[in-house]
Amino acid sequence: MLTGRQTLGYWLMVLPLVVLVAAFYGWPLVNILRLSVTDPSPGLGNYAALFSDPALAKLIWTTLRICAITTVLSVMGGYLLAYVMTHASADRRNWMLMLVMMSFWISVLVRAFAWLMLLGRNGLLNSVLVRAGIVAEPLELVRNELGVLIGMVHYMIPYATLPLLANMQGIDPRLASASRSLGAGPLYGFVRIFLPLTVPGIVAASLLVFIVSLGFYVTPAILGGGKVLMIAEYVSVQVLITLQWGTASMLATLLLIGVFALLFVLSRFMKVSQAFGARA
Amino acid sequence: MQDKRFFRELITDGARDFKAGRIGRRQFLTLCAIAGAAPYAVAMGDAKAAADEIVMWDWGGDAEKCHTEAFLSPFSKDSGLGFKIDTSGPLQGKIKQMVESGHVTADVADADAFDGIALGKLGDLEPIDYAIVDKNKVLKGFAWEYGISIIFYGYGFMYDTQKFKDNPPTTWADFWDTAKFPGKRSLYKWGNGAIEAALMADGVEKDKVYPCDIGRAVDKVKQIKADTLFWGSGAEGEQMVVNGEVSMGMVWVNRAKAVEADTNGRYKLNMNQAIAMPGAYIVPKGNPAGRENVMKFIASCQKPERQIDILKCHGMTPANPEAYGMIPPELQPFVITSKENLPKVLLNDPVWWAEHGGEAVDKYLAAIS
Repeated sequence: MLTGRQTLGYWLMVLPLVVLVAAFYGWPLVNILRLSVTDPSPGLGNYAALFSDPALAKLIWTTLRICAITTVLSVMGGYLLAYVMTHASADRRNWMLMLVMMSFWISVLVRAFAWLMLLGRNGLLNSVLVRAGIVAEPLELVRNELGVLIGMVHYMIPYATLPLLANMQGIDPRLASASRSLGAGPLYGFVRIFLPLTVPGIVAASLLVFIVSLGFYVTPAILGGGKVLMIAEYVSVQVLITLQWGTASMLATLLLIGVFALLFVLSRFMKVSQAFGARA
Repeated sequence: MQDKRFFRELITDGARDFKAGRIGRRQFLTLCAIAGAAPYAVAMGDAKAAADEIVMWDWGGDAEKCHTEAFLSPFSKDSGLGFKIDTSGPLQGKIKQMVESGHVTADVADADAFDGIALGKLGDLEPIDYAIVDKNKVLKGFAWEYGISIIFYGYGFMYDTQKFKDNPPTTWADFWDTAKFPGKRSLYKWGNGAIEAALMADGVEKDKVYPCDIGRAVDKVKQIKADTLFWGSGAEGEQMVVNGEVSMGMVWVNRAKAVEADTNGRYKLNMNQAIAMPGAYIVPKGNPAGRENVMKFIASCQKPERQIDILKCHGMTPANPEAYGMIPPELQPFVITSKENLPKVLLNDPVWWAEHGGEAVDKYLAAIS
């Protein structure tokens, strides 16, 4: 146990950092919260608009829908990847892990433009399909909601893979052998033994993917053809173009509260720091 | 916010006076003490650098090179002042934020006229000094209290000449007619130009477009929404045409010549019913170089030969009628206010946009998303 004096010592050591965060992060954040109830006039008018303005309702619905679909698809992809990695040889697993990590280095902007080049109207895929006579008209794969989903799922799969991998590696492999020896087939063993043990991993991965997806800006802006408007981009429009800072800060506040609430739920299932890749 | 700005102005002026020997060191330090010296230690340095250079705030890309060659370099040679360019894009919200935070780092912003009118009303801009800047060197009606047009740009559309060989589209009504002219379309994502285009397509006479019926315009946009892509930046709009993603695409007219070249002439500009947008040079309140310096700079941009230089480099249409006689014939079709084009285009009303822009953009976004 730490003594009171020791604790104080540690606190003093982190004090500069705490002050820095409070001054340059906390304070502006408080200002944003304040703006949401003071601009353009004091009161809860900006929040009331959520219930009276169908455009805002649609915006939030679009954001939630896209994030939910992204989450389901990313977690499914991540689950497969993590499953294969868990059961691969250590050497192979390290290679796969490296490839997954490498995707973090590629900027979201570059990825979005790469998808345009691959899947666009005159992109690689469509040129091949049209020339081979498989389709008469190019497929509409980007510049719509489908494009946004492709871009986002591609970006989020690694985020889903890592917590699932950590979870699966913690499962005792002897359990599978034990279930086999008791007469369970591979499918039965998976459904009754492995899958239930990975539920915490699935929940953590889902929440993580969902939270990160909420703030997507670049991918929908480029791959959505202007027709897929999510909260982050709308906030930027309200700040920069229409000067409705009250609406913008209201949405920002809403997003912040949503993320904190989800993080709280996440913390019931696992250490939050672990979900974000830190080694406990 | 206001008090910060006041102190900043106080101390910047003080620093300038101190430098010029109009006030003593002790008085200057007293000023610093009143204003809270520490943060303004920086300001002192700023004030020194600031008085010696013009910081232009533009949109980057070709603008950086073109503003340097056509405007900043020649002005620097004449005046002895240095210059810098901030390429982060002077959106209305960014200008407001800069002025109200009390840390003004730009002298002149290459903005839209409606930005000048809206921000001027909020008290975020320096008024234009018409003793230095010449009100007569701009098309009549495009000099305002808080901004003046140096160039025009505009929204026209380009079409695929291979697809519409014998019967090219010539109006916004054709643009909207996806039965007669099949294919994808593209429009600007933040409403400008698109609202006006929609109204003209719906049969509104050119001189009846303002005040815009926003509801009617967005209903019209909804008609072609399924076939339309929306671009957020000029480069993106250009790309949609160059990559052949659309058979007709709205573009910034000043980029049309480059797009025609990039597509080997496959896409051609239609200038009929284009929406001419007055750009405006506006000055954030408390600009570091001081009001007189920046006004001299703005006045220098009105010189006809420099107006022609910006046209040649960046495709921007001169706002000074004196320059019109000097426009090279091969550029005439792309100049929005040239003799052949002026009767065909719609002149944007920045006052309407300054007042109703927020509402128009909100409704437009709700319709397209």
